[in-house]
Amino acid sequence: MRTLPLGRDRTAVLVPMLVGVMVFLAVLAAAGALALGNVLEDWSRDVSGSLTAQVPPVPGLGEAARMATDERVAQAAAVLRAQPGVASVRVLSEDELMALVEPWIGAGELVRDLPLPRLLDITLEPGAAARTNPGPMADVLRDAVPGATLDEHRLWLGRLMDLGEALGALGLAVVLVVSGATAVAVVHATRADLAAYRPVIEVLHMIGAQDGYIARQFAINALFQGLKGGLGGFMLALPTLAGVGLLADRVEAGLVPRISLSVVDWAILAALPLGAASLAMLTARVTVLRTLARMP
Amino acid sequence: MSHDSAARAGLDDPDANMVVRFDHVGLRYDLGPEVFRDIGFALPKGSFHFLTGGSGAGKSSVLGLCYLALRPTRGTIRLFGHDVTQLPRQVLPRLRRRMGVVFQDFRLIDHLSALDNVALPLRVAGAPETDIRRHVPELLAWVGLADHLDAKPPTLSGGQKQRVAIARAVINRPDLLLADEPTGNVDDRIAMRLLHLFEELNKMGTTVLIATHNEQLVQRFPYERLHLQAGRLTRHRGGGGASERAGVRPATDAPATPPRQP
Repeated sequence: MRTLPLGRDRTAVLVPMLVGVMVFLAVLAAAGALALGNVLEDWSRDVSGSLTAQVPPVPGLGEAARMATDERVAQAAAVLRAQPGVASVRVLSEDELMALVEPWIGAGELVRDLPLPRLLDITLEPGAAARTNPGPMADVLRDAVPGATLDEHRLWLGRLMDLGEALGALGLAVVLVVSGATAVAVVHATRADLAAYRPVIEVLHMIGAQDGYIARQFAINALFQGLKGGLGGFMLALPTLAGVGLLADRVEAGLVPRISLSVVDWAILAALPLGAASLAMLTARVTVLRTLARMP
Repeated sequence: MSHDSAARAGLDDPDANMVVRFDHVGLRYDLGPEVFRDIGFALPKGSFHFLTGGSGAGKSSVLGLCYLALRPTRGTIRLFGHDVTQLPRQVLPRLRRRMGVVFQDFRLIDHLSALDNVALPLRVAGAPETDIRRHVPELLAWVGLADHLDAKPPTLSGGQKQRVAIARAVINRPDLLLADEPTGNVDDRIAMRLLHLFEELNKMGTTVLIATHNEQLVQRFPYERLHLQAGRLTRHRGGGGASERAGVRPATDAPATPPRQP
């Protein structure tokens, strides 16, 4: 039996609307952070398992120069194989090199005469990627073969991932700020209701109602208003997410990694409106109990 | 007859039969002057008292202290044997449930029907709904409102609201009934009828304290009178009253005795 006519005046519209907007924003921010997290995980899995070494060719066009270059490459491969954490080193053949540069400079005898650096594909042992420090490895390589460099994917990828992680943290921050704003809105709505129904609350109080009896009515009201607004905001966020996903798919040329959310991610997103409703309920309850505690 | 309550109250001999006892009670609102500074009285179980005094003498404040809306700024108040100044806030609802209060301005809840208003004390106490459905209409019929069970307070007349307020105050069969000017808004005929209602309750063991400024009405009853004046409380013997009371009957459209309540 509800003895307070809660949810019948303007706060009945205001709170669901605010919670709806907040959940909408929170779902988008959280979806962005989760998708970004998945992308970063893919990247780090793809790249951290391998390194590339470059060996500059010995200048000259003759067979001697070619032999000298091959020797340097073999030397570099030997040095790299001896490094801890290295599983295998594969020397890319000249044909493979040609295939790599073909899209840009075409094929032909002339290209074969270009002083292209030779490439070595280094695969790290599983689990060794995190331990391996490419700095010393690059030093050793440079000492053994003059001019040889270790191309470290992880340097630029690391910076990219830093940026990605910052964006993910930003998403989380948005969720937190939005939660705080929801709580503040509910506190104010509850205080407005408390003021509006002060005479009724006093009567309930005087006839022996426990604080919990009064607080429960406010809490249930806030829970339903929060659910109404939260589910509304969630439903609005779904087409928005689908739209962003569609746009991302269209530019899928390897530039933008495929954006995907797992079942767990969806569960987290679906928990946001429920969390908002619970937050509204708890906030209302605490606000009412605090106010009642000041009554005699 | 003036009376020294402090001597009678004898702090070393707390009398469990006293439903209400004030000792050296003072009250001030915020930083204002003291409404009263040293009043003392005791209401034995099953007693019936009037509380009189001019407007602003502090009648409502005394009642407010009794139903725990106010806390004394000095002295002690014992209710049902408990020192209320020592009780934690959480146990006060239990004491309030043993009281019925008729407020001067009724304080009915406008969006609830008469039936739901009267049922309120049972509901907040967690009484089963079947009991509520059985007892509340019975009591409302007894105060002559059988045809207004579903009426909202704004549609009722002053006298009808007063009877709803009284029904709400007595639905729990309170041990203590406090009424603030319960006859303030009605003519003498209805006033007498309401007072008869309180007498009926009193006969069943409820301690009654009625604040009123209607001296004529008080004179018609034989009950002791507590008079507040200039911050002091004095006791006075009751009026003659018996002959006038003979003509008083309960609400004509209702049974002569109140129904049993849970």
